[in-house]
Amino acid sequence: MGALLLAGTRKGLFLLHGDENRSSWELEGPLLPGWSVFHAIRDHRDGSLQIAANNFVYGGTFQRSDDEGKTWRRAEGLRLPEDSGLKLDEVWHVEPGRDNEPETIWLGATPGVLFRSGDRGATFEPVQSVLEHPTREQWEPGAGGMCCHSIQLDPSDPKRMYIAISAAGTFRTEDGGESWTPANTAVAADFMPDPFPEVGQCVHKLLLHPERPERLWQQNHCGVYRSDDRAESWERLEGNGLPSGFGFPLALDPRDPDVAYVIPEEGAENRVTPNGRLGVYRTDDGGSSWALVSGGLPEPAWGAVMREGFTFDDSGLYFATQSGSVFASTSRGEQWTEVARQLPPILSLEAAEWS
Amino acid sequence: MVVVLLPSLLATQAGGQARFELEAATVGEALRELPVADLLFEGGELRRLVNVYLDGDDVRSLGGLEAPLAGVEEVRVIAAVAGGTTSRT
Repeated sequence: MGALLLAGTRKGLFLLHGDENRSSWELEGPLLPGWSVFHAIRDHRDGSLQIAANNFVYGGTFQRSDDEGKTWRRAEGLRLPEDSGLKLDEVWHVEPGRDNEPETIWLGATPGVLFRSGDRGATFEPVQSVLEHPTREQWEPGAGGMCCHSIQLDPSDPKRMYIAISAAGTFRTEDGGESWTPANTAVAADFMPDPFPEVGQCVHKLLLHPERPERLWQQNHCGVYRSDDRAESWERLEGNGLPSGFGFPLALDPRDPDVAYVIPEEGAENRVTPNGRLGVYRTDDGGSSWALVSGGLPEPAWGAVMREGFTFDDSGLYFATQSGSVFASTSRGEQWTEVARQLPPILSLEAAEWS
Repeated sequence: MVVVLLPSLLATQAGGQARFELEAATVGEALRELPVADLLFEGGELRRLVNVYLDGDDVRSLGGLEAPLAGVEEVRVIAAVAGGTTSRT
């Protein structure tokens, strides 16, 4: 089985087709030139391509292709009700629903909104409980806007899922989205007068481990965190090998819940990889310690990887930079190969199986 | 009958069609008939960076979306010259 990487860029979507060994890659694209593709996936349930595509003139869209990107269909109804007083800005993240609900697609957007489609993305409706969340007045936009960028479904409970919004924090539902509980205990918001508020945290990326779904990881504006109790509490993990707690992307090992990968940046005021070193940091012990893995990566390099720019599958790890390079590793990050370069600034990277 | 012309990015979203011949009383009616109408409007108004010209005149100086199309031959949709977006993380 080969790999398909979907690289969403500021100037359209590129596809990278990799062979079974992830050693030979073929570039296709751009598809949808002129659109900023904040996120793109290949839905494992039906093989369709689905993208969160934005244009600074025409706004945010969800688009779907059932023919490998030859033609696209734009979703209808992607707007917010007038009485909400909110205006839809950019769309950020596409998340397929569960395998037993093939019609469902979730979509995260700005300003801190979640949409659900019940017809494979033909139409969307905003999730009212997020739109009208009682803490919404306390939410503030981060530098990227008030984006809902992470949507995670708990495979062990059909009613439980998580969303993360910058800068509102992590929220968990136990009733299929009817209500959402802030899940930010012990997560710092160092930029606020109260550094541990109920909401207002600037989560940059949230991932749940599919084999141990009570375990979640988050790369935050203020540190890297792990939770082992469904986000009831969080443990800050920095100061043990990481050069910085600041960064955006996060990747996991689908087989080992103790393994995680981050790509730190110097800090909020200088968003490049620390010390001119484009490096991935890996923990093998649940975040107790971290080690640099960077074989084959260019040096020096002042890189930056967006929150959606790091992904993984059963065979490898892949990340993409704002300077248009895609790197792949089949050795748990020990050795990297540049598999594409000189693409437009890359906003997102997702891996899918392809044959 | 009026001819509506779309820029290339919108034409791609309209299935490759850049030229439409429509019957409509006002420019708003004509634009809402287009298969890309959802990309042109926000809250019922033209998006800020979408410009529309009736035989070369900016529709915003002609009464906006209610501007009549009687005697108009061509409606041209053009994206404003607005530069790029700010860097987003």
